[in-house]
Amino acid sequence: MRPLELVLLPGGVALGAVGVWMMLPGAPAERRAPGILLAVAGAALVAAGLPGLGDPLTSALFFVLCGVTLLGAAGTLAFRSPVYAALSFGLSLLGTAGLLFLQGTQFLGVATVVVYAGAILVTFLFVLMLAEPRGRATYDRVGFGPGMAVLCGALLVATLIPTLASMGRKPEGLLRPPPPADARRQGVLASQHVKQLGNELFGRHLVAIQGAGVLLLAALVGAAVLVGQGRTRLPAPRAGQPAQSPGPNQPRPSQGSDIHG
Amino acid sequence: MADAEVALLVNYLVVGAALVALGAVGFVIRRNLILMFLCAEMMLQGVSLSLAAWGRYYNDFGGQILVLFIIAVAACEAAIALALVLVLFRRRGSLDVMAWQELREAELPPVVDREIPEMPAEPPPAWPSLPPAGRTPCVPREETEFRPHV
Amino acid sequence: MFDIPFLLVLVPGVCLVATVVTAALGPHILGPRSHWPVVVALVIAAAASGVLVVQVHHQALAQWGEGRPADPAAGYEKIVTLWQWASIDDAHYAHQGDRFRIEVALRADPLTAVMLLTVTSVALLVAVYSIGYMAGDPGYWRFFTYVSLFVFSMTMLVSVSNFVLLYVFWEAVGLCSYLLIGFWYQKPAAAAAGKKAFLVNRVGDFGFALAVFLIWTTFGTLNFHDTVDAAGHIIGGVLGQSGLARPEFWYAPGWTLSAICLLLMLGACGKSAQLPLHVWLPDAMEGPTPVSALIHAATMVTAGVYLVARCAPLFVASRDVPPIVAGIGAATALVAAIIALTQTDLKRILAYSTISQLGYMFLGLGAGTLAGVSAGMFHLVTHAFFKGLLFLAAGSVMHAMGGVIDLERFGGLRQRLPITHWTFLIGCLALAGFPLLSGFFSKDEILSAVYERGLDGRDAQWYYVLFWMGLATAGMTAFYTFRAYFRAFWGPERIPPEAGHHAHESPPVMTRPLVALAVFSAGLGAVLWLSGALEQFLEATPSLVFLATHPAPWVYNVVEGHGVVPVAGTLVALAGIGLAWLLYVRQPQWLAQTVRVLHALGLYQFSKGKMFFDEAYQALVVAPLAAFARTCARWDHALIDGLVDAVGALPSTLGRALRPLQPGIVPFYALAMVLATLVLLGAMLW
Repeated sequence: MRPLELVLLPGGVALGAVGVWMMLPGAPAERRAPGILLAVAGAALVAAGLPGLGDPLTSALFFVLCGVTLLGAAGTLAFRSPVYAALSFGLSLLGTAGLLFLQGTQFLGVATVVVYAGAILVTFLFVLMLAEPRGRATYDRVGFGPGMAVLCGALLVATLIPTLASMGRKPEGLLRPPPPADARRQGVLASQHVKQLGNELFGRHLVAIQGAGVLLLAALVGAAVLVGQGRTRLPAPRAGQPAQSPGPNQPRPSQGSDIHG
Repeated sequence: MADAEVALLVNYLVVGAALVALGAVGFVIRRNLILMFLCAEMMLQGVSLSLAAWGRYYNDFGGQILVLFIIAVAACEAAIALALVLVLFRRRGSLDVMAWQELREAELPPVVDREIPEMPAEPPPAWPSLPPAGRTPCVPREETEFRPHV
Repeated sequence: MFDIPFLLVLVPGVCLVATVVTAALGPHILGPRSHWPVVVALVIAAAASGVLVVQVHHQALAQWGEGRPADPAAGYEKIVTLWQWASIDDAHYAHQGDRFRIEVALRADPLTAVMLLTVTSVALLVAVYSIGYMAGDPGYWRFFTYVSLFVFSMTMLVSVSNFVLLYVFWEAVGLCSYLLIGFWYQKPAAAAAGKKAFLVNRVGDFGFALAVFLIWTTFGTLNFHDTVDAAGHIIGGVLGQSGLARPEFWYAPGWTLSAICLLLMLGACGKSAQLPLHVWLPDAMEGPTPVSALIHAATMVTAGVYLVARCAPLFVASRDVPPIVAGIGAATALVAAIIALTQTDLKRILAYSTISQLGYMFLGLGAGTLAGVSAGMFHLVTHAFFKGLLFLAAGSVMHAMGGVIDLERFGGLRQRLPITHWTFLIGCLALAGFPLLSGFFSKDEILSAVYERGLDGRDAQWYYVLFWMGLATAGMTAFYTFRAYFRAFWGPERIPPEAGHHAHESPPVMTRPLVALAVFSAGLGAVLWLSGALEQFLEATPSLVFLATHPAPWVYNVVEGHGVVPVAGTLVALAGIGLAWLLYVRQPQWLAQTVRVLHALGLYQFSKGKMFFDEAYQALVVAPLAAFARTCARWDHALIDGLVDAVGALPSTLGRALRPLQPGIVPFYALAMVLATLVLLGAMLW
């Protein structure tokens, strides 16, 4: 590794880690704002240590989208209100979708937005809002073992990034040379590449697709069964009184009688 | 040109790694069941980015296909996770993962939160009240600025 | 048919068969008839022993005719080798080149024949007596099993021709003694007495074992007799004729030989209850009286005497050991007699008397001459009969008095127990050495041998002193014997309450053996002495022939009798009897005054307290060992148990240390997973 990289990459990672740590929900308010700045600075350092993308437009787009993604991810960690955190995750998803678009995998980007952001995230947002309309829970305002967790995450990244960076400089060592550009233009970057994707998907991976379908069905059935189990059976309503069912969001003390097999 | 491709690959991989790391940290840090799940999804996003980058670099559709499968499986996972979270929520009435410590060793004491008085006490909600019929309601000023807290 | 090898095997063999049969069939099938196999076996054994004596006598006469042979090594012995027990080819002593071998070989020679006859005949009479004495005891069959096992062991002991086998049967008789002393094992005193006997014997056995080791390294063989190895060379036995023919080479004097003899003497002291290992014999009276009669009067305690008599050439050749042996014997005799003067338990008086008479035997053996050895054996034979008689009569008294044997609690039994009274009187006269009874002859033989050695020669002054000690002991013997007799049978009749309806003469099955023994006690001595048969017979034993004929200056030859000794012995005996009569019958008030004087001098307590041997041993030996055992127990508990407990506590401690890894907190588990991933990643990348 070049000496510059030697300083920038681990330094950037460390700085970012400290910044993230300062941002965490358990920290006092005056620490949270500087944390954001530190995290951004760390990210910038890392970015400087990585090889440049050449084309300035691509570069700018990439950095913007990257920043959005990472900021959204950091927000998921940092916000004390769970709804804000979920929404921040949605922002991250949008950034990811943008990055995927930049790669030329448009179908994936659309799928991410539709499935992830549109279905999964929204569902969970609803559940969050139904569960805690007041947003005052203690447990959302502390983290579990923040220092240790951030350290582990930093180490995780720190072990990966230098390897990746050195891989970037000497592609012949760890990395096979890429296929020629025109092949790529016929393949993944072709204008009809979604058609090719579909051919490949339903051609070579047909069985896997079917399997995934079965999996989805099983998940559907399973979810319905699981949720249906925990509902309390109330006694049959007397004549004249409407049947009462307990609301889904009222806290109930957990008793053994709740379970009906 | 090859260098650009390599640089693109490396950058995307770094972003993917960062997302995975942030997701891991978030999974450990956060105590809300749903937010934990969302951080896991974040890790899957990082992996998706990496896979897409590799697919583009080697001109192989396999990367994208795998990401599609990841999305499908993530959906299943979300369904099941939601069902489980709902069942758990019904039992305890909170989304806190620390409410579930019964599987600890017998002699260890449970982890109990200490008091964190940070958020200011919110004012009691001012529910609108109707004056008797025929009278003009007197609307307090804050009514116009009322906004539900989320 | 009745040749010697057959008889030699028959005598112990039939006893072994009786043991097995009684043990197998006794508990359920035979029950109160368990005595039959044993009695039949003993009859056969006694008859066979008698025939054996006759046969050996004939063979010996046939070998060298009348008179003494000129050749010192030409005694008569017949060896019957049954099988080879052990053989180690690589272990041999360079001295002779033969490898280590133990053969089960029985020998027939005059010494063995005499012992066999004594043992089996006394055992037969005791067994018959026991039918009456032990009737009704729940362990009836067990008693007879042990008795026949004992007779088997004893007969084998005197028959084997090998030191290792001698040691084996030495231990076997010790075992039988333990089993029989503790026969009523529920009684704590009996169990303790059995243990004491066994442990004290162990000390002696240790010496015996060391002697056997030294014999192996000195002589290169453990057999008594000469053997022939595979190449035809003669391997000399320790007491074999080839060794006896050239004693200067074979029995080279020096510290080794003296050590062997002293260690053998230690073993004999243990088994024959000599000083300082005599403490077990009085306690052994806890056993049934027939056991006391058989084992602790007639047979087992004489095993030590037999051993020393058998190894006489070794003792004589060592030159310094015989005076020590004689000194031990005389000292024991004197000490035991002093203690017996004040005891009140009749059986204990007889026990101390046994110790005293055994001391006499060793005194005779320690004279180192053929006269001394044959006198010792003569006394052994006569003592077996009259002491056995005395014990059985005491048992008869005990039986009549309901288990009470304390002289202070009964008296004046003359009219009530006539047969017991007369037989007991004959036994007392024999023991005291009253003229013409058997004890008189044998005791005087011993005193003559010692007196002769005290006249001139090596260690003469020492033997002279011992002679006077022996004479004084004879007087005391007469005194305490008749003290017991007068207290038990004379004076006003007193019956203790435990007697109940028992206070009558014993049944014939018990009195007939008493009468038989009385006849032998009375007449045997005269017969044997006047005919000189025993001495001549014993002379034919190879090792004793050596004593008679070898011209070496340190071998003392047979001497003529001296008139002064029997006269002195008679006077002393009569004086003792007379004094006892005076104090216990005629003028009892003098008795009280005498006791007061002795008490004031402290002598009375010294004697009554058994000279405090037991207390000394308790303080010097038992207490330190017990303290050591307690310390070891503490160490064991603290260190070894502690170690084991620590090892046992290790898993739980480990578990306790690892427990915090399972706090039930999901984020914690997630953190652990991240850490593991980190480690994996690190391992893969570097």
